[in-house]
Amino acid sequence: MRVLGIVAGRIGLLFGLPAILVAIWWLASADSEHFLFRPLPDILVAFRETWLGPRLVEDLLPSLSRLAQGYAASLVLGIGAGVLIGSSRTLRALVEPVLELLRAIPPPALIPLIGLFAGIGDTRRIVIIIAGCVWPILLNTVEGVRAVDEVLADTCRSYRVRGLSRLRHLVLRSASPQIMTGARQALAIGIILMVISELQRTDRGIGYTVEQFQTSFRYPEMWSGVLLLGLLGVALSLLFRLADREILGWYHGLRATQKESR
Amino acid sequence: MLEVRGLHKVYDSHGRRVEAIGELTFTVEDGRFACVVGPSGCGKTTLLRCIAGLLPPTGGEVWVEGNQVTGPPPGLAVVFQEYGRSLFPWLRVRDNVELPLRAAGLSRARRRELATEALAAVGLADAYRAYPWQLSGGMQQRVAIARAVAYQPRVLLMDEPFAAVDAQTRADLEDLIRTVWRRLGVTLLFVTHDIDEAVYLGERVIVLSAAPTRIKEDLAIDLPVERDQLVTRADPRFTELRAHIYAQIQKFKHTAPQEELS
Amino acid sequence: MALRFRGLWLGLAGLVGFGLLLELIPRVGVVSDRYLPPTSRILAELGEAAGADRLWPAVGNTVLTWGIGLALAVVAATVLGVVIGSVRFLRAATASTIEFLRPIPSVAWIPAAIVLYGPVRAGTLLIVVYAAFWQMLVQVLHGVVDVDPVARDTAHSYRLGRWARVRWLIWPTALPYVVTGLRLAATVALILTVTGELFIGTPGLGAEILRAAAGGAVGLTYALVLVTGLVGVAANLLFRAVERRSLAWHPSVRAETPA
Repeated sequence: MRVLGIVAGRIGLLFGLPAILVAIWWLASADSEHFLFRPLPDILVAFRETWLGPRLVEDLLPSLSRLAQGYAASLVLGIGAGVLIGSSRTLRALVEPVLELLRAIPPPALIPLIGLFAGIGDTRRIVIIIAGCVWPILLNTVEGVRAVDEVLADTCRSYRVRGLSRLRHLVLRSASPQIMTGARQALAIGIILMVISELQRTDRGIGYTVEQFQTSFRYPEMWSGVLLLGLLGVALSLLFRLADREILGWYHGLRATQKESR
Repeated sequence: MLEVRGLHKVYDSHGRRVEAIGELTFTVEDGRFACVVGPSGCGKTTLLRCIAGLLPPTGGEVWVEGNQVTGPPPGLAVVFQEYGRSLFPWLRVRDNVELPLRAAGLSRARRRELATEALAAVGLADAYRAYPWQLSGGMQQRVAIARAVAYQPRVLLMDEPFAAVDAQTRADLEDLIRTVWRRLGVTLLFVTHDIDEAVYLGERVIVLSAAPTRIKEDLAIDLPVERDQLVTRADPRFTELRAHIYAQIQKFKHTAPQEELS
Repeated sequence: MALRFRGLWLGLAGLVGFGLLLELIPRVGVVSDRYLPPTSRILAELGEAAGADRLWPAVGNTVLTWGIGLALAVVAATVLGVVIGSVRFLRAATASTIEFLRPIPSVAWIPAAIVLYGPVRAGTLLIVVYAAFWQMLVQVLHGVVDVDPVARDTAHSYRLGRWARVRWLIWPTALPYVVTGLRLAATVALILTVTGELFIGTPGLGAEILRAAAGGAVGLTYALVLVTGLVGVAANLLFRAVERRSLAWHPSVRAETPA
């Protein structure tokens, strides 16, 4: 009986506030005559009709695919360059101010420039995503590689763990918590860039579609797009959490032990 | 076999010149157990790092197994004092023990065999699946020892390995290391600041002076081969030896060797 | 002595080298100078723009939008974060909501902002505040929750009142997180400020970049992007200095808590 109570309590905490908020939203908007804030039921209907149909393949998938490609490329570039730079004190000192300048440029500001270089089409959009995502990954990788524990490094030296082996087992693993922090930031930026890289253009995509709805006054559909982006953000965040738990399970365990012993 | 010939080390940083090691020459024969003691800051760790190939000497040579040391030599393993930082937190205990073997290119079966044996030898057969940070300090140091054992080195260097564990654990580990030494027949050089420990463990104790370090005395420990925490430490010869060494160190803690009265 | 400045010299060399590289690449012809004007031309355009009357108002607009948005977000997040963080029930009850609302990309609100406000500051502020708020909130929550149990027990056994506890226990613990949160929120806020200027039409550097690019003034476009970067650098330096000053006493400057 007590267990039931505890479980009910947990579920209540988990879904309580969201349920209340959604209910308020539903009731407040149900009879809305406002031109912009349409009733929630309408939005949900629009959601099903818009996104669960052909647009799934024509708009949703291409956008996600570009995000995936840009993100993957950013990981490779960022981690690769990050390891190189982080491993050499001279290189780091040389390159640091330039990197600080380049990463301080808000990625959206680069969009008009990239448009000059990369024309229209997928290349342009993927380059935009890379231009924003690579920096947090690169800089965090540099930080992580720099901060490899000295004793651990000495241990590897004395056991003659060198080259690729050392890179794989010592450097990358040791830097992985820091790299993941960068990857997380990069994901958030990637989603932003995915959307805005499609605005004011003529090709398919989520951002493009939502903008079309907005300019043609189809507001329930527009809000359904907002809802979709929200769900997308949550879904990707969850995916990232899972990956994080897999890759950094040891790190969370370690931190937990350290906290206990405080 | 371990030969140190005319070792000389000077640190030069920020305009300050520190002569850590003045001149050291000694040999440890195959399979012998030698301890090194000296006052704090007398360059014991520097000596060990030079032998391990982690630090290039300013002058003199180190020869391990007939080869001059210019970098970490094969067949040599080091156990550091900071066990917490010398084990890979992202690897389970058994994987930690296997890592140097993996880097050396051994087959999986052979690695597994050696690791299992080594863990059994240090009494951690059941802990192979744990993460290092889930274990106590003493157990972590055992893992580090197991890793060294599995590596099947000809020479084993230990840098104040038990300084950071509590007294009772230290006693267990001391006995463990003597057992391991006798089973494996390695040449063992054990650095410690604890005189009692040096006398208890070693067949021979090398007493170092304060910086610039030179050998103060090279004492043969003529205690029975079978050592026991209670019996041996109560042995009058034990007390004699330790008192002698203690006096030596006290005498020359603050004076340079040149001022020694003959 | 020379060793300490070695890093400085190398860094300077790197910057100069980078500038030289960008000077040579278009001149040599690796990339057409229609796409990548040489550094000298970019700097010349920058000089010209600085003298004319469009640059500084744009910088001012951007900084103002960014500042207002950040301030609003930080205040709201700090207040809410402290309140929620201090009451265990509130923490538990709001956790799922926060986890759901947080990853919603702020740019999703752009169409609504355009409809509601049009090309004025308010529209951009909407997306700036939304994004910066969540960054800050997460850090504040971590900070309030992270109080060392031993320290808390000590405070309790010395019978420290509520206010004393906040001042000596909670605030010092939370401070590193607050400072980190400020830095992260500021970065995100600047990104979204420029985004709003580009896509909602709010006046500022983003809008100027768009105008320059649309008008084919490539050199000017690069110059403006450079200015935007310099604003970002100034912001980073500012927050790093704040971090250093306020945390000078802290034995271990904490790494960012995974947001």
